[in-house]
Amino acid sequence: MTQAPGAQATRSVARGTDDVPWLDTMVLPAASVLAIVVGYPVVYTLLLSTQDYNLLGTTPQRFVGDDNYRKLLLDPTFWLSLRNTAIYTFGSVAIAALLGLALALLTENIGGRHGRAARALLLTPWAVPFVVVAFLFRYMYLQNGGAINALLLAIGIIDAPISWLNVSSLALPAVMVTNVWTMTPFFFLLLAAALAGIPNEVIESARVDRARGASLIVHIKLPFLRNALLVSSLLMIIANFNDFAKIWAMTQGGPGYSTTTLVVYVYRLAFENFSIGYASAIGVVWLLLLLAFAVAYLRALRMT
Amino acid sequence: MGTGLPRRSVHVGRVVQGVAIALALFWSLAPLYWMLATSFKTELEAASLAPTLWPHEVTVANYVGLWSGSLPFLDFFANTLFTCLATAIVAVVIATPAAYALSRARFRLRGTIGYAMLLFRMLPLVVLLAPLYLLLLHARLLDTHAGLVVGFVTFGLPFAVWMLKGFIDAVPIEIEEAARVDGYTRWEIVRKVVVPLILPGLLTTATFVFMEAWNNLIYPLTFVTTLEKQTLPAALVLTFTGQFKTDWGGMMAAATLTTLPLMIAFFAVQRSMVRGLTTGAVAGA
Repeated sequence: MTQAPGAQATRSVARGTDDVPWLDTMVLPAASVLAIVVGYPVVYTLLLSTQDYNLLGTTPQRFVGDDNYRKLLLDPTFWLSLRNTAIYTFGSVAIAALLGLALALLTENIGGRHGRAARALLLTPWAVPFVVVAFLFRYMYLQNGGAINALLLAIGIIDAPISWLNVSSLALPAVMVTNVWTMTPFFFLLLAAALAGIPNEVIESARVDRARGASLIVHIKLPFLRNALLVSSLLMIIANFNDFAKIWAMTQGGPGYSTTTLVVYVYRLAFENFSIGYASAIGVVWLLLLLAFAVAYLRALRMT
Repeated sequence: MGTGLPRRSVHVGRVVQGVAIALALFWSLAPLYWMLATSFKTELEAASLAPTLWPHEVTVANYVGLWSGSLPFLDFFANTLFTCLATAIVAVVIATPAAYALSRARFRLRGTIGYAMLLFRMLPLVVLLAPLYLLLLHARLLDTHAGLVVGFVTFGLPFAVWMLKGFIDAVPIEIEEAARVDGYTRWEIVRKVVVPLILPGLLTTATFVFMEAWNNLIYPLTFVTTLEKQTLPAALVLTFTGQFKTDWGGMMAAATLTTLPLMIAFFAVQRSMVRGLTTGAVAGA
């Protein structure tokens, strides 16, 4: 294992008398690496957000106070991308969680080789890299010769092929379907594990009380799944707030700004317009939103 | 009513269940089948306006094209494999002692550090993007694989600490006490007692970090500027406008190869994955 330089010294200092030490030498390697690659950038972002800073150096870097933050309040694209982020995140997580739950309940009582095979196959979408998923769906969404249009035409759901990713009102839902496809196995896996963890006696005694079918699921099983659902959706909500690969590889935020989420907007601002200061201000606001959300969520979790 | 439902309703239930599972399997597997099938189609057939269910004229030209084409796909593959493996190893090695301390040791900042790990995990990567870019620029690590690994570590390390703590929590403390009596130091206990015991957990964690790095697009796209040094996901995005504009067969062949390592890694650790994810989930709390 990596021995932290100066570990012994720190330890004897930290220990003092018989008191509990402030730090433990063993967390030092990880803590110092994170201080440099995460802590420092976060602080630096705060600083950058108060500056007018162009990466190309066309204008001199200067302190502008809260100008970036004022600009943000009046920036319609910021609000639009905030809205898109919320729809994209909560919409796809909710649908994927429901589908995952349905799959977990559906496959619960299939044992043996068939059950194992079915479960493994249902998990495969999760093991496909995001960029691959994005291009695969882009190909299937094609207006001319796309598999999805061909299928929907064959079943008779649509009359004419649709250019899914090029219509502003359809692009976001289309990307969300893709997202749900990759995410459902995650919920399926965690919820199936939670279902298997329900003590047999609970199910048996409910059976004796004549609970079955829907009422067995709603009154007995769902309460047991509450924690697993909360934890898995928290993980996925965070992952989706940060999702860049799928959206960028499918639409680059277009058409127009219809699929531009905060990640895409900040990326564009920083590395296409090179306005680092303004991009940082949005990053800070977003960070605060995420923190507030995470704290509220952990509270809810703690209460169970 | 008694214990069982009437026979016919059980039968209907079975059929409904079977149909639902068949639909779910179709939904999960059809896109993957489509990727595989397209990768064996000729360029003409893949772009056909009337899509064919299976390749009418099977060809491996798309795969051969990846090797002999104008783009260094082998390099992209090697770049991705190298940076992701390096990230997984670095993250797990640094995270293990920290996870052990957070699980076992008593110190005042324990709660704070535990929370920090959880919060770091939630950080939007794009917030770190500009300052990390400048940091790597000044450290002359921009456009290097080492720089990319530094980027990947920003999310890999907090995750590894968080997940490993869950695995270490599950190890009974009595085992360590015996080692302590034998005069082992704490570092020796971690290395010789804890690590062998949580080996499946270490592998699972490393695999997860590996998969997340493999999935990452934003860092290579920003930190790597030379195409030859690029990772597969970023290369797919960057070259799509060029080589693959209409060559969906070639695209799907590249996509299949990008998927394979991740698929193998995923199924190798699938069993211990659930435990790792759920036990670590409330770490820091």
